[in-house]
Formats: sequence, C-alpha cells, structure tokens
Amino acid sequence: MEFEQFGNLDQPDLYYEYYPHVYPGRKGSMVPFSMRILHAELPQYLGNPQESLDRLHSMKIICSKILENLEQGLAEDGSMTNITQENRQASVQLWRSRLGRVMYSMANCLLMMKDYVLAVHTYHTVIKYYPQQEPQLLSGIGRIFLQIGDIKTAEKYFQDVEKVTHKLDGLQSQIMVLMNRAFLHLGQNNFAEAHRFFTEILRIDSSNAVANNNAAVCLLYLGKLKDSLRQLEGMVQQDPKHYLHESVLFNLTTMYELESSRSMQKKQALLEAVAIKEGDSFNTQCLKLG
Amino acid sequence: MDVNQPKQEHLLALKVMRLTKPTLFTNIPVTCEERDLPGNLFNQLMKDDPSTVKGAETLMLGEMLTLPQNFGNIFLGETFSSYISVHNDSNQVVKDILVKADLQTSSQRLNLSASSAAVAELKPDCCIDDVIHHEVKEIGTHILVCAVSYTTQTGEKMYFRKFFKFQVLKPLDVKTKFYNAETDEVFLEAQIQNITTSPMFMEKVSLEPSMMYNVAELNTVDTAGKSESTFGARTYLQPMDTRQYLYCLKPKQEFAEKAGVIKGVTVIGKLDIVWKTNLGERGRLQTSQLQRMAPGYGDVRLSLETIPDTVNLEEPFDITCKITNCSSERTMDLVLEMCNTNSIHWCGVSGRQLGKLHPSSSLHLALTLLSSVQGLQSVSGLRLTDTFLKRTYEYDDIAQVCVVSSEVKQS
Repeated sequence: MEFEQFGNLDQPDLYYEYYPHVYPGRKGSMVPFSMRILHAELPQYLGNPQESLDRLHSMKIICSKILENLEQGLAEDGSMTNITQENRQASVQLWRSRLGRVMYSMANCLLMMKDYVLAVHTYHTVIKYYPQQEPQLLSGIGRIFLQIGDIKTAEKYFQDVEKVTHKLDGLQSQIMVLMNRAFLHLGQNNFAEAHRFFTEILRIDSSNAVANNNAAVCLLYLGKLKDSLRQLEGMVQQDPKHYLHESVLFNLTTMYELESSRSMQKKQALLEAVAIKEGDSFNTQCLKLG
Repeated sequence: MDVNQPKQEHLLALKVMRLTKPTLFTNIPVTCEERDLPGNLFNQLMKDDPSTVKGAETLMLGEMLTLPQNFGNIFLGETFSSYISVHNDSNQVVKDILVKADLQTSSQRLNLSASSAAVAELKPDCCIDDVIHHEVKEIGTHILVCAVSYTTQTGEKMYFRKFFKFQVLKPLDVKTKFYNAETDEVFLEAQIQNITTSPMFMEKVSLEPSMMYNVAELNTVDTAGKSESTFGARTYLQPMDTRQYLYCLKPKQEFAEKAGVIKGVTVIGKLDIVWKTNLGERGRLQTSQLQRMAPGYGDVRLSLETIPDTVNLEEPFDITCKITNCSSERTMDLVLEMCNTNSIHWCGVSGRQLGKLHPSSSLHLALTLLSSVQGLQSVSGLRLTDTFLKRTYEYDDIAQVCVVSSEVKQS
C-alpha cells in the first residue's frame, strides 16, 4: 500500500532530471535498486506471485541491456561516452551483481509458486553470479528435491556439495556436509541417524541454532517428548536474543500442547519473554494463543 | 479431530499428535546495497537471524525444521504415524497404567500399540510416550481409539477412552486402456492422476504380469547406455497432473499357442505404484488384477507372425501368418484365396488347400506380396473358405506396412 504513491517506480518525478535545480547535471532514476527489488518481490507475499515474476523479468531485461551497452563501450543508457576503464569495470561489476540479485529473487519467487523445475534451473543460474555461494545453493536445491520426495536426486546434489567443499577448509563447509547428511537420513525415515548428525554439528558449533532445533525435532519423532522440550527450552533460556525465533517458538508451543493440558500457562510465559526482547513486528501467531 | 467423552476428572491426560514429516522454514530476505542508506543493516540482520542459511542469506529455503501444525490429509497407501502421550497432570503417583491404541475402520479393528505391558507407576508431571505407525489400507472413516486404565494411590481403578476420527482419501486416479496389436501382444496404457493437494514423486510404477504374460515396460529411453525416463526432468506430479505409462505384454511361449483360442475375460496383471511426498513420506498402492476382454476372433483367426516395417516400392517381401482354428470341436479344411487390391499384389498360387486343421491348433503360412503404391499401405485381401460349411472368412487390413521408393536406403 505504501508503494502505491510511487506507481511503477518510473514516474517522471522520480528521475533526477525532474529536479534540475536540486541535482544539476545528474541523470537517471532516483529509485534505489534495492527498492525496486522490494517493489518487485512484494506481490508474491500478498498472493500474486505472477506479478512479482513479471516485474522481476522487466528488471532482468533492463540489467541485461545495461550490461550489453557497457560491454559495447557505451554508457549504461546507451549513449556515447568516455569513461575510464576502471569506471567501466566498476559499473560492469555493479550491474552484474544486480542482475544476480534479480535472478535470486526470481528463483525464490518460482520456489514460492512451487514451480520446482524452473526454480532449480534458475538457482543454477544464480550459482554463476555468486560462485562463492555454490555449496549453499547446491544444498538448497538438494532440499528442494527432498521436499518433492525425490530422495535420489537430493542425494546426488548433496554428493556434489561434498565434492565442492572438499577443496574448502573450515568449519562452515564441515557443518554444511553434516547438515546435508542429516537431511538425507530424514528423507530416508531414519530419525535416529539424523539426530546423530545434528548432534555432531553441535559438538563442533554448540551455538548452532538450526542443529539444536532440528535435533530436538528428531527427538520428538523418536518418542522422546520430554528430552525434546528440555533441549528447546534450554536453547531459548541460554540465548533468548537469538533463539526467540518464530520457528523455534512454533515448535515449542506445538510440543507444549502435546505435553499437557496446562500448555496455556507455558505459552503465556513465552509471550512475556518475547515481549521483553522483540519489537512490534514479531509474529505472535506462532505462539498459538488465539 | 477430537471427539471426547463427557467431562470427568482424571489424573492422567492423553494427548495425540499426528507425526507427518516436518517442513522447512522459509525466510523472507530483505537486502540492500552498500551505498544505500541502510548500509549494512539489512545484511547484518539477516546474518543474525538464526534461520537463514549462513553465507547465502538471500536463499529463501532455510534449514530449520518446523513440526506439523495440523492433522493434514491422509491418503490410502500412506503410513499413519502418531505420537501418543499420557501425562500425569496430578500431584500423586499413579500405578498400573495400561495404554491401548486401536484403529477402527468400517471393516476391522486393529491393535496398534507397540507394548502391551502395564507400566508400574507414573510420577507427577511425568509421561508415557509411544509412537505408532500403521500403513493405511482402506479408504473412508478411521477412528483411533485410545484407552487408558490406571489405579490411583487410594486403590481406585480408573478408565477412560478418547476417540479421534479421520478420513482416508484416495490419492490417485488410475485409468487403464488396452490396445491389441496385430501380433499377440497387448499394450497397456495406464493413466495416473495425482488427486492430492501436494506434489508427488513417482518412485516406481510397474506392472506385475499374471502368469500368462511377460511384460516389457516402455517408460525409459536407452541412449548411449544411460536410461532416461520418458518424463525427462519433470520427475514429479503436481496436484491434478496426469501421466501415462506404457507397457507391452507378450504371452509366454506355452500360452502363445492358445492365445488365439482365449475367449472372454483374461487377467493381465496388476499395477504396483510407489510414491514419495514431502521429505520422503512414502505411499504404496497396488491395483486389483486388471482384466481384459479378449477380442472375439470367430472360428478362424488369422494373425501376423512377422512382417517388415518398411519395404521398397514394387519389391516383393515376405510375411508369415498364423492361422488358428478357434473352434473347440470341428476340424477344418481351409482353402486360401488371395485377392489383389489397388496397392497390394500377392505372389503365389491362390485357391490352394491348406490341409486339415484340428480344433485349437494352428498352422504357419509364409506369403509373398508387393506394393505398387508408396506410403502407409494396409495389407488386405486374404480369404479363407471353410470347405465343409462353405463359409468364407475375409481378412482385410490385417497390418500396415510403410512403402518407400527404392532410392531411399533400405537396410
């Protein structure tokens, strides 16, 4: 709604040329690129993902055109210009990363629309723009296949991740590999093994929220409600700033409801904790008080 | 889902939660560039958010597992898993607790509990947990009946039951069509439609033939040693999508002889379908035995054993026919006549006797013919006359052959 004032972000009064007395000599749109991305992404959260896709496509076309112009020695808007090699390089880099950002949004949008074939294809394109994120993106694609139910293809992707991270050092890649193995076991219905891998991650990085949460979830599926609750509650009490997160709270309240008839009191205690730490935008629906 | 008995004060509380697989939490990424006003603020916020993927915070599909929020749908062939928890809500120790879980369908009552032994005692605020699994084999109303019996500290024996009703729905719509080939082969086309509300990965769809047939599945293409599914990259079915699977059935050697004589309804085999949904949730269905009406052949059947696909224009080619006496008592004396059509010209002697053919037996006949017209031509013009009954059977359009000009290379 707040975006309505700005229309489709191409109205004349949003261009520098409209205010020659304030911005003498400057050309182009005043709208920051990131704002355009926001404007494009918004409709998908409001139930109209096709509109998002259309907007992202037009942004993609413009970014591609600008890059084409730069590569042919012209200025971004296609006019003749004399800019230094350095500036040109900087501009190319900027617009390349912007194009990558648009592709990222498109892939996310396609995923939201459940068009898995296209989403996977687009994520592969994103890898070209963000090669440093290749292991994370490949793992993400693996998870998409897990969601579809195609466990074998997911396994292939997780194996590719291991090949790529083999050359990298560091905790992060180790954790990624363990996380993927845990997810694969989940897909094969093996909650005990999945729990083992999530716990393995905690041994390396004891404050890893995802591993903590996921290990607790596995415990529930193994019939250990009390242990699961203990793990999640411990997490929240230890570092409330970090762990009073929507998804963790969802899980906590679900387990409270399963545990006893006195879940309301515990949920209210959570609400108090949240009120202290979080701002107004916190989604209290996750506490299921209503 | 809850259908409770009238309120009664019990020391123990029974809770049930269906355990479908967890789902992955999705974030909403908000980014900005370095030179924008917020600077690094958004990026830092996303990095601090525990549910984002570290190093790729713009990726929406996170790694955090979220427990199922509602019962969801359950379909025939899936496994119903549920957590059953009995919690001591009181502040006294409770003894001799026995928890029983049964599944009541319209036709039977099944016991689901893993253990049938009573638990000696349950302290306050402790619980007895059990996870039950059951592969759902019936459609319609199912009732999970949980019964708890226990003894209070004062020695009073207590008992209560809770009922949880749920519907099992049909997940797939399967339609089958049979195609009879000119030879004794039967082609089965199976159309499978996903009538659930989530995407389905078809892990395996196979046809288990009855003892009369051998089956070849025609759903993969072998190129350069690698076999690829005919469905390509689209390995899953979205809700309401349909897919067609093709199978070729050939009667086994010992039945091939009788194939021409088979009348009425024959059993072909059954389809075995295995699918997976979210995070590997498995489902499996088998159809009932598929039946096919054998085409009626009358008393005498003429079928083709061999015929080339493609032939050269005006060049003679050979075919072999099989003539079967489908009657059960009469021995036949048959005379073969070949009639030419516009495009088909038979070579050989017409009007010859084929000899005696006993009931339920067949003979093989080699014939030569040529075609004078290019294109897809229909082989017609064979006449068999039963000399005793003076009845003539006409056989037209028994097969098609592709006729090409001899300039086109022929192997």
